Amino acid sequence: MMAPFYKFGLFGSEVSLIVAFIIGIGFGFFLERAGFGSARKLAAQFYFRDMAVFKVMFTAIVTAMIGLFYFAWIGWLNLSLVYLTPTFLWADLVGGLILGVGFVVGGYCPGTSGVACVTGKIDGYIFVLGLFFGIFAFGEAFPWIEGFFNAAPMGQITLSQLLDIPYGVLVFIVVLIALGGFLLAEKVEKYFARKDAEKAL
Amino acid sequence: MSKLFSNMTTQKKLGLLALILGFFAVFAGSPYETNKITINAKDLALMAQKDVDNVSVQQVADWIIKGNFDFRIIDTRSPKEYADYHIPMAQNIQLSALLNQNFYPTDKLILYSDNSEKATQAWLLLKAKKFKNVYILKDGLNAWKDKILFPKMPANPSEGQMAEFNKIKEVSKFFGGTPQTGKRGEQGQKKVKKMPKLKLPAAIPQGAPHKKRREGC
Repeated sequence: MMAPFYKFGLFGSEVSLIVAFIIGIGFGFFLERAGFGSARKLAAQFYFRDMAVFKVMFTAIVTAMIGLFYFAWIGWLNLSLVYLTPTFLWADLVGGLILGVGFVVGGYCPGTSGVACVTGKIDGYIFVLGLFFGIFAFGEAFPWIEGFFNAAPMGQITLSQLLDIPYGVLVFIVVLIALGGFLLAEKVEKYFARKDAEKAL
Repeated sequence: MSKLFSNMTTQKKLGLLALILGFFAVFAGSPYETNKITINAKDLALMAQKDVDNVSVQQVADWIIKGNFDFRIIDTRSPKEYADYHIPMAQNIQLSALLNQNFYPTDKLILYSDNSEKATQAWLLLKAKKFKNVYILKDGLNAWKDKILFPKMPANPSEGQMAEFNKIKEVSKFFGGTPQTGKRGEQGQKKVKKMPKLKLPAAIPQGAPHKKRREGC
């Protein structure tokens, strides 16, 4: 038996929805447990007061990366069948910026706004309303931005293909970056905690 | 050393684990090395012996006529041979390129070559790569020519045989073939078998169909 199960025909699209539902619940649960249902905690990331977002996200990246790498290496998973979102350079850059600004201003990303909603936060509801309005506006404006949307297509490319370094080496580099980032994040948190304490005096 | 380890926080232990796994990933080789295959030799031998993965030319012709396009036909011959003539809807993919195709493991693939030889080799490769629905066109293009494009009317046909032949005649015409009735020309004089031009019957969409699947988020 080999993953991805869906593409090997182990279950159909109906069951895949149930699987997605269970995984979605798990995702939301752990976001909430990490404290990401609170806009205060999320926004604190951007003021370097609380690096939990960075730590949780990079932990997830490293865990998934190492897991997928070794699963494929053992032969449990056919990596070439795992779907990769195609890269469109300019649209991705601008989209990332918009999401980042929205994250700082609104205090949520799309996923965490769902978590905030479920935990009954009013700003979460407003955020989700805005999210749907944004999707609607994007859909209506699509004919005008279609050219930009499809500009600089790079296909389903991975970092290891782009930089032309072996996959395993890239895994190690990302692990080093993450671990270095964690150490730095701790330092940054302590530095700002001290600064805030001095200011309060 | 063990004391040092037990004094570590869980975070540090996990970080160390990630570091170790990441380090060994450098030497593990590419996880995309999917050209390595493992086979269950006995299963394959049994399947090959029993001809379970064979489909007849009549069957495939029938599917094409009925507009059953849930399969892909793959021509494993050279591009030149493919350009000369190929079964309608067939794609030309040679053995060496076969493993780089992004078929889904559930795709239904029908392989053919002039006889069964190359197709059988391709079948073996794909089977070993865990493709489930791979079939060989029995006796390949030779059978397609003999039975579909230029079917021969049996000498002194009985009524049943005649009815059968008339049916095949229609199939043959659909694919632009010329049934060999033996009426015209004298016995022994061989009629020139002209391969039909590569124009697909109007009922068949050009190119192999591609099932679109929902994926991504």
